[in-house]
Amino acid sequence: MESILFYLFATVLVVSAAMVVTIRNPVKAALFLVLSFFSAACIWMTLEAEFLSIALVLVYVGAVMVLFLFVVMMLDIDVESMREGFARNLPVGALVAGVMVVEFAVVMMSDRFDSQSLPRPAGHGPDYSNTKELGLVLYTDYVFAFEVAGLILLVAIVAAIVLTMRRRPNTRYQSPSEQVKVNKSERLRIVSMPAEKRLDIDN
Amino acid sequence: MTNQDILVVLPEIVIALMACFILVLDLYLPATKKKKFGYGLSLVTLMVGAGLSIVYSEPAPVYGLNGLVLMDSLSAILKVGICISTGFVLVYSRGYADARGLWKGEFFALALFGVVGMMVMTASNHLLSLYVGLELLALCLYTMVALRIDSTAASEAAMKYFVLGALASGILLYGMSLLYGLTGTLYINELSASIVRHDGSTLPRTMALILVLVGLLFKIGAVPFHMWVPDVYEGSPTSSTVYLATAPKLAGFAIILRLLADGLGSLATEWQGMLLVVSIISLALGNIIAIAQSNIKRMLAYSAIAHVGFFLLGILTGEVSGYASAMAYILIYAVVTLGAFGVILALSSKGVEADLIEDYSGLNQSHPWAAFIMLLLMFSLAGIPPTIGFYAKLSVLQAVVNAGMTWVAVVAVVLSVIGAFYYLRIVKVMYFDDLATSHPGLQFRPKQDARILLTINGLAVVVLMPWIGKLTTLCEGAIEVLF
Amino acid sequence: MLANYLPVLLFLIVASGLGVVLLVAGKLLSPHRPNEQKLSPYECGFEAFEDNRMKFDVRYYLVAILFIIFDLEIAFLFPWAVALDDIGIFGFLAMMIFLLVLVAGFIYEWMKGALEWE
Repeated sequence: MESILFYLFATVLVVSAAMVVTIRNPVKAALFLVLSFFSAACIWMTLEAEFLSIALVLVYVGAVMVLFLFVVMMLDIDVESMREGFARNLPVGALVAGVMVVEFAVVMMSDRFDSQSLPRPAGHGPDYSNTKELGLVLYTDYVFAFEVAGLILLVAIVAAIVLTMRRRPNTRYQSPSEQVKVNKSERLRIVSMPAEKRLDIDN
Repeated sequence: MTNQDILVVLPEIVIALMACFILVLDLYLPATKKKKFGYGLSLVTLMVGAGLSIVYSEPAPVYGLNGLVLMDSLSAILKVGICISTGFVLVYSRGYADARGLWKGEFFALALFGVVGMMVMTASNHLLSLYVGLELLALCLYTMVALRIDSTAASEAAMKYFVLGALASGILLYGMSLLYGLTGTLYINELSASIVRHDGSTLPRTMALILVLVGLLFKIGAVPFHMWVPDVYEGSPTSSTVYLATAPKLAGFAIILRLLADGLGSLATEWQGMLLVVSIISLALGNIIAIAQSNIKRMLAYSAIAHVGFFLLGILTGEVSGYASAMAYILIYAVVTLGAFGVILALSSKGVEADLIEDYSGLNQSHPWAAFIMLLLMFSLAGIPPTIGFYAKLSVLQAVVNAGMTWVAVVAVVLSVIGAFYYLRIVKVMYFDDLATSHPGLQFRPKQDARILLTINGLAVVVLMPWIGKLTTLCEGAIEVLF
Repeated sequence: MLANYLPVLLFLIVASGLGVVLLVAGKLLSPHRPNEQKLSPYECGFEAFEDNRMKFDVRYYLVAILFIIFDLEIAFLFPWAVALDDIGIFGFLAMMIFLLVLVAGFIYEWMKGALEWE
């Protein structure tokens, strides 16, 4: 059962990953990326890495891909011009990819990483919760790393704001509440003026 | 959790809290008081951090927080060094940053958070705390490089730094995960024993070692992982360059020592050969390419690459005296580099960057004192006696010779002599060239506090010479307890 | 443990099956008679002037990035919530400190006006 699921999700993952780089429409490419993230999350789930799997869906599918879609849907990226380099860079890319495939094959085929020397850990019982196990150590044994991670997030907030915020004193915008609250004395000034002399038209 | 746990990381806690406080305070103070308060509070915080690091230091390692961090004299010395050099950075960059609109609460907060990251790195006894410290520092550095949002060069430099830095972090993490898979422990002080116990093929552990080494060498900018260094040094505002050129080098030394010498000490024969290649090509490439530079920041970047190569020589001896000489080297390098960038910052004014070597022509005629301080610092970087830079080089070479690698020492000396050329060229330009007429010329108008510190810093490279032996003794004492 | 996720798997199968069935049924059953006018791009009665992508303000991304950061923070809350019974007051305080640090970030964000739309 598990191996059926693995091959199912792995196929979806590989196909959708291939689609990400080959499909012409960038929005569809981003959606395929969502699909590949999701399949990866499913594979992690079959490995009993429950929390990682949820975090992948939550953070990557939920947040990072929103940003990605934002960028590809809104930004005026000329997709055609970005594709021009494809044929030119293909030899180098193919070479790197080929080397990596060979490397992976060598590592996978060798007996150093096979199931005898690195056996699969035993599965857990039905009550096992990976998230809970993580929670039990993350906030006690690893509390220091956890708090530093909080600082990293804080720095990320500061960095995002300090690098992108620009005050625009010239922008004009409406404030409906101010408009509604306005009363007569703020808008209307009654000036008493002396009556003007009548023009003598006949003259 | 006991008091012990808190004391081990007390400086980090204080600085992190103060950084948050400064960040929030900056939002509520009126504009006139912001700069003064942020600046003063940051300096006080750094002093307190340095003080606490000394007061609660223990000679032998004391572990805290479930062994994630430790406190020993190595981390105490480096923490003090990091705090003090960051303090110097703030003093030096005030005038420069103020004129460019960079002198604001975020600058202080980022600098202080970076200090926290570096302190965590120096004090980590666990791959996880080492990694989070590294990332905290890296995130602060990326932001400080890009702080001038209207400058294309700064954005480009930050982009390069960020992309390559993220790649390096990934490689480092991959190596760490392999180490964990092989040994079953993340504690650095247990790695060394567990990794030799691992029977079976040596290929996985060699791969883990290579990945970790690549990640570390990238972070300190050794060849062939140096591509980001020149662009980042040149592109970022000088107030950020001085920060990333000094204190992070100390933290980088700490993680290299902890992870390679301590954690992977049992694989020393494997990484010594790799480091040898890296340090010699760093020395060669850094020293030779620096000659061709016309921008002084870029030149100092290549000089940094060469100096990294030199201190790696001390590490690769694999002996306590070598580690101690490398530590003394990096501390001395930080002092001298601070001064060199301090002079550049003091000579920069509104709209004048003072980053071209030709700008310095005839500086002796217009500002003899600035030229003299620069002369001392350049002599020290080149390693010419009687400066502390000479002593630093000498002690590393001594350790290398004692380790039986005389030919390496000879190569290093030859390359350093080549390197002396470009430092002396600055001196020649300042003293023997005519005053530059094509541009308005540099103004040496540092703030009062920067002027005093700069004078101290410049003279220190000569005046400290009689006591410099103490530094080595201190470093040796700190490192001996580890092994 | 995986058995607990069987409903999720069944849901996945049913949902994707339903999606496929509906799409295929729509394709097969609906009338499909295109002509040139129907297929031409259309913009308020005119031929399309320009690409529908344009330069957007960086502020949109700022909002998205801040969302991601707080989303990550939420990811830390899940294991905490699950394990809170067992980690006691220490774990509780650990999370409170973590949140306090991020509240500093939130105050910064708020006061800087990053959440305002000028």
